[in-house]
Amino acid sequence: MNEVDFKEKWDLEKPIYKAWGDFVLENIENGIRDSGESLDVFFKIPPSVRLKSNESLVDKAFYRPGKNYSDPYNDIEDKVGVRFVVLLLENIDKICKYIEGSANWSFDKCKHFNLDREREPLLFTYQSVHYILRPVDTFNYGGVEVLPNTPCEVQVRTLLQHAHAELTHDAIYKSKKAVLPAVHRTVAKSMALIETTDDFFTDVTKKLNEGPVEQFSVQRSLDEIYMSLTQIEPLNQKSSLAIFDCFEKFVTEDLPNDIEDFMSENSFLVDSIKSNFDSGGLYRQSVVLFVYYLLRKRKQRLMADWPFSMEKLEPLANDLGVSLYS
Amino acid sequence: MQLINFSVDRIIIHQVFQRGPEGEKIKPLQSHDFTRFDNTAMDAFKSRVRDALGDGSKAVQMEIVDEDKNGMPAIVNEIVGKDDADFVVSSYDVAKKLTDAQKTRGIPGGIVVVFTGTHGAHKHKFLGVIKAEIYSAYEKLIDKKTNEISLKYVEEVLLTPGTKLYKTAGFFERVGSLSDSDGLNSKWSVLISDNQISQTDGKAAAMYFYSDFLGCGYPETSARTTKKFYDAASAFIKQMNVSAEKKIDLYNALTTYLKVNTSSVVSPQEFGSSYFDVDTQDEFIAHLSEKGLPPTSFTKDNAHIASKLKVRKVQFSKNVKIIAPSDVFKDLVSIETIEGDLDESGAPKVWTRILVKDLVVNQE
Repeated sequence: MNEVDFKEKWDLEKPIYKAWGDFVLENIENGIRDSGESLDVFFKIPPSVRLKSNESLVDKAFYRPGKNYSDPYNDIEDKVGVRFVVLLLENIDKICKYIEGSANWSFDKCKHFNLDREREPLLFTYQSVHYILRPVDTFNYGGVEVLPNTPCEVQVRTLLQHAHAELTHDAIYKSKKAVLPAVHRTVAKSMALIETTDDFFTDVTKKLNEGPVEQFSVQRSLDEIYMSLTQIEPLNQKSSLAIFDCFEKFVTEDLPNDIEDFMSENSFLVDSIKSNFDSGGLYRQSVVLFVYYLLRKRKQRLMADWPFSMEKLEPLANDLGVSLYS
Repeated sequence: MQLINFSVDRIIIHQVFQRGPEGEKIKPLQSHDFTRFDNTAMDAFKSRVRDALGDGSKAVQMEIVDEDKNGMPAIVNEIVGKDDADFVVSSYDVAKKLTDAQKTRGIPGGIVVVFTGTHGAHKHKFLGVIKAEIYSAYEKLIDKKTNEISLKYVEEVLLTPGTKLYKTAGFFERVGSLSDSDGLNSKWSVLISDNQISQTDGKAAAMYFYSDFLGCGYPETSARTTKKFYDAASAFIKQMNVSAEKKIDLYNALTTYLKVNTSSVVSPQEFGSSYFDVDTQDEFIAHLSEKGLPPTSFTKDNAHIASKLKVRKVQFSKNVKIIAPSDVFKDLVSIETIEGDLDESGAPKVWTRILVKDLVVNQE
């Protein structure tokens, strides 16, 4: 296949690759969203589907030193790609787990930095996770027929790994002059530092997420109770963290159940929450259920350690009829 | 009786006066319109009512005694459902009733707030009355130019936080009102908060309010409730994870609180805060609630526990007993846990050292 035929074929098949890339992106985003993550927070760079331009594809197929493709059109597997950039190594694991567990495609795990580290323990270089995904069967997406041999490259990396990749790709790989060994050395040093920092990030997040509130997913349980009672989605703020922090010792595995029981015994509180939702404050947050519960069951401790002004407790005490200053 | 989900819809305020120099009644001053609070003022008002009558307050449940058609309970029963125009007029009867009840010059005047609203999950009616005494205070002023703070003397202030300076009563319509055979008690549940009742020997001083004015009396169940409290508190102390000495102190405290303290009200909250740390207080209150004690305070009657309060008993496993009158026990007997001989496993046995500050006068 000469360059002209190559370009023609690529122009013809671009919509197929685009459709497959769109499907992969949408599917992974849905999977991550369903696991309870907010996509805006989870992905540090909004992921998008990228088709290789004609020029760069031809360049890679015919002029890249060291690459000698026998069937360049099919051998090049990153004609369409999707990149996911996240903050933490554990976020990468989450995406990998989803990709590997999905029945929507067959996957080929062609690169993982953990394997690279084992293989070349003395080398500090580009780190990322790469998958090639292909449809299991011919299928139709948005009116386009996608064949099983259509590859899509998925890259998954941390923000720091991405920063390193950007630097090496743009500044070194495309450098017009020969790169000095000292520069290679400095780039390798920065990768060593990035790997160390990623480990520290993991460590910090782990320590921050240790505790009963996270262990028993109390926030999420309260959100669910709040929503099922009021039919309103809670607007949680940082103040709920401060409250959980102060009264962590009352957070147990049974707490969500206890609060559910408490709310069904005091179902009039649902109307109080709904009618005060617009007045803001604690009423908009699902932690309000925990505060009501403490007001009834642990009033003295609540008042002793309450992290905000007592005025914030007054309206809730009025709803429950609990005397604060008798 | 639990004050939950309450809202206030009508508030009217009249003024009552101290008796004149010759002991003559002075006609109360009548308002002809409702007081309309803005949201903040209304929230503050609700907070006052809640602090006076809510869970953990010093309020006590009372029973309606005066079933006469001119008595306060009958007045409440009649006016609570009236439309606004009639209610404005009839609420003045409450002020007149209070004026009649204030028989001596020693009782100060003040304002009478009469208010209605709903309470409970099913929004039953209630009528509340507050007698707030008027006193003086200072208002903080800041000079805008110099930022200097000064105090302005304000002669008449009322309803400040803290329930000491106002008396509150609430007549709450009962859920699923019982038959009329029990009279007004079947329809109304009454909570009264009056700091005077819980003061030492305050019963007589408070009587004009709860009895002469409100037509209520101590409930017949007081003795039963007091015994329930004694049993529940004893059980709580028994299961506490503290030393034997500490338990003995707590039993002594319980006996003293019920027997020696002359207040005619038992406030579990007050007992808890005097003798327990914060978390234990919460556990104590939760324990009492589990045992069916009311969430507020209650009137004391030691009739069913008089003999128990008279003596303190400490018993050991092999039938060794120490029995002493409770006041003597507190002063003359001290008990201490010590480490005894080692048991089979090598751990010291728990022994008890008893000190009696007296000599033996008799033995058999």
